[in-house]
Amino acid sequence: MLVWAWKSLIAQRGAVLGGALGIAGSFILVVFFHAVFRGESGQIVAYPEHMQPDVWVMQRGVRNMHMATSSVWDWKADKVADIPGVARVTPILYLNSVITAGNQKSFSFIVGLLPDDHRAGPWEMVAGREVSSQGETVIPDVLSNLLDVSIGDRVTIADTSFTIVGLSTGTYSMANSVIFVAFSDLERILSSSGTYSYLLVDAEEGIDPEALAGKIRREVEKVNALPHEEFVENDFAIAMQMGVEIIFMMTVISAILAILIVCFTAYSLVMRKRRELAIAKALGMRGSAVLFGVVFQSCILTLFGFAIAAVFAMIVIPYIPLLLPQLSLTVAVSELLQIGVTALLVAMVGAIIPAYLVLRLDPATAFNV
Amino acid sequence: MAAALLTASKVTKIFGTGHAEVRAVHEVSLEILPAEIVLVMGPSGSGKTTLLSMLGGLLKPSAGSIVLDGIHLTALKESQLPEIRALKIGFVFQAFNLLSALSVEENILFPAQLRAGGIAAARPRAAELIEKLGLAHRRRALPKTLSGGEKQRVAIARALINEPKLILADEPTGNLDSQTGQEVMMILHDVARDQGYSVVLVTHDPRVEDVADRILWLEDGQLRDRKSEQHNWERDPVCGMRVDEWTATEFTDYKDHKYVFCSSRCRERFDKRPEHYLTKREQSADG
Ligand SMILES: Nc1ncnc2c1ncn2[C@@H]1O[C@H](COP(=O)(O)OP(=O)(O)OP(=O)(O)O)[C@@H](O)[C@H]1O
Ligand SMILES: [Mg+2]
Repeated sequence: MLVWAWKSLIAQRGAVLGGALGIAGSFILVVFFHAVFRGESGQIVAYPEHMQPDVWVMQRGVRNMHMATSSVWDWKADKVADIPGVARVTPILYLNSVITAGNQKSFSFIVGLLPDDHRAGPWEMVAGREVSSQGETVIPDVLSNLLDVSIGDRVTIADTSFTIVGLSTGTYSMANSVIFVAFSDLERILSSSGTYSYLLVDAEEGIDPEALAGKIRREVEKVNALPHEEFVENDFAIAMQMGVEIIFMMTVISAILAILIVCFTAYSLVMRKRRELAIAKALGMRGSAVLFGVVFQSCILTLFGFAIAAVFAMIVIPYIPLLLPQLSLTVAVSELLQIGVTALLVAMVGAIIPAYLVLRLDPATAFNV
Repeated sequence: MAAALLTASKVTKIFGTGHAEVRAVHEVSLEILPAEIVLVMGPSGSGKTTLLSMLGGLLKPSAGSIVLDGIHLTALKESQLPEIRALKIGFVFQAFNLLSALSVEENILFPAQLRAGGIAAARPRAAELIEKLGLAHRRRALPKTLSGGEKQRVAIARALINEPKLILADEPTGNLDSQTGQEVMMILHDVARDQGYSVVLVTHDPRVEDVADRILWLEDGQLRDRKSEQHNWERDPVCGMRVDEWTATEFTDYKDHKYVFCSSRCRERFDKRPEHYLTKREQSADG
């Protein structure tokens, strides 16, 4: 039976290849979206991750940075600085806003830096210099390409005009690029004075960040203090929350797509061969054996599609960011395996309707001319 | 008298219900003895294929019982029938019904996977059949490259691979030209005689009558006696072959006369240019 099922597949390689490519396409979609979201979520937390203070201090009730607003009185920064074990406190202002150049827009993560603050600024510059006075900004290199602006050009951030003085790298993400401006400019935009958004706290040698954060929470009223690890974890979770749902939806949609393609391909294989399947039954082949052959074919078909998708993912996806630098892609091998398991389920589910047809085939039709 | 290999008692098959009811086979009783070659003949639509399907366990009778080699087919569960078909019966079809993706040898061996020992044990027998049926040079060929006669010889070898006691053939020569049909018939006849198989053969071909031990005449789903004078020989106006009007499946009404043909090919030719063949016939009759 298996030999026959296999040879029948080979005899219809056109249809089989077409089906396998369709299945591969839907799996590639899953791999691709996984890769995009994993890469993107990593990029969204790029700023806090790179800052790496020992402790983050923010308004009570706030636990992360992405999509959050926080306000901490400036005198509290002094209070934090006085706590034993604290080596250094770097305050920043922070705002989620939109950067505009011409009629192009991009969501961004605007960080206001105090004069001469190199602690909380860009971690890698590729051109120009850091912000040193009012009206200046540093934007990601990828964003400058997308907005088609360069050093010396003007951009609008929250209705205020800025001149680009430098380009940083590693700071771009589709949902949130990190943009640096002067503290006083952001203060004006926020109409605030005497407040900070977050405090980056570096501890002295040998001080446990966990303990230090606890101490800050106890001694400074109405602030939240979290060790760096926990803060970034919270941020990543928030960033993924949206992504995870989309990934899940995409996985479900692609799996349904794959099932439909498997079903359709297996269905057309069965329909085309229904006479021969009836003959096999007439010759004494059990319905269950014929069924097994059909499921076997559907598994081969799906695995073939999966193999195409996997090869594609391993070979092609790593090159995509070279063409589309705004995409951050990360392919995890574990995800491929997960999709492989999904693929087998897809093959089984996709075979249900064709299998039903096979079971119903009347062997007596073998006598028809 | 030897015990019958196959006994059918008052077998009836009704298709559909109410207005759409068709009584395809009505209370047919018959016995087939071991090593007997029996022809089933009758007009088109008389229930021959339906009867054969029931004898072969492919179709459940509406009433009556069928006993094959001591097994009550009609009492078996649906799930037990495939094994009977695989091991006790060899089928030969008008449409050959080879599996297109498999070679000649693989087709012949196909039913062997269902018996004890499987394909491996059946290889020597397959080789023997391939030799006997003159297929040695086509052993690895795919069905689509075979001639009609070769295809039917492969089908016969496939029917014989599991050494069934009963062979059921529905118009095995129906898709072959008369010469090839004759050859295939002789092969089927010789093998059955050699090995002592029983054969039930549905056919329209009157020349096959010579090989039969017995002829059953089916009409309107019932077995009737057919006397030999019930032959009504006519000539095929296209090829001139002798055709029995009673059993012919290919016919055309033209100018209030019924013309019968040996095959669909002749009928199609006639339908295209009836005058051509009729004048030709008159000329030859004159001459
Ligand atoms: N599956 C079916 N459903 C309904 N009616 C059927 C079915 N199979 C056969 N019949 C009817 O039963 C009758 C006998 O058909 P059957 O095919 O057995 O005739 P036959 O003698 O083999 O004819 P032919 O010589 O043309 O092959 C016909 O009237 C046919 O229309
Ligand atoms: Mg028939």
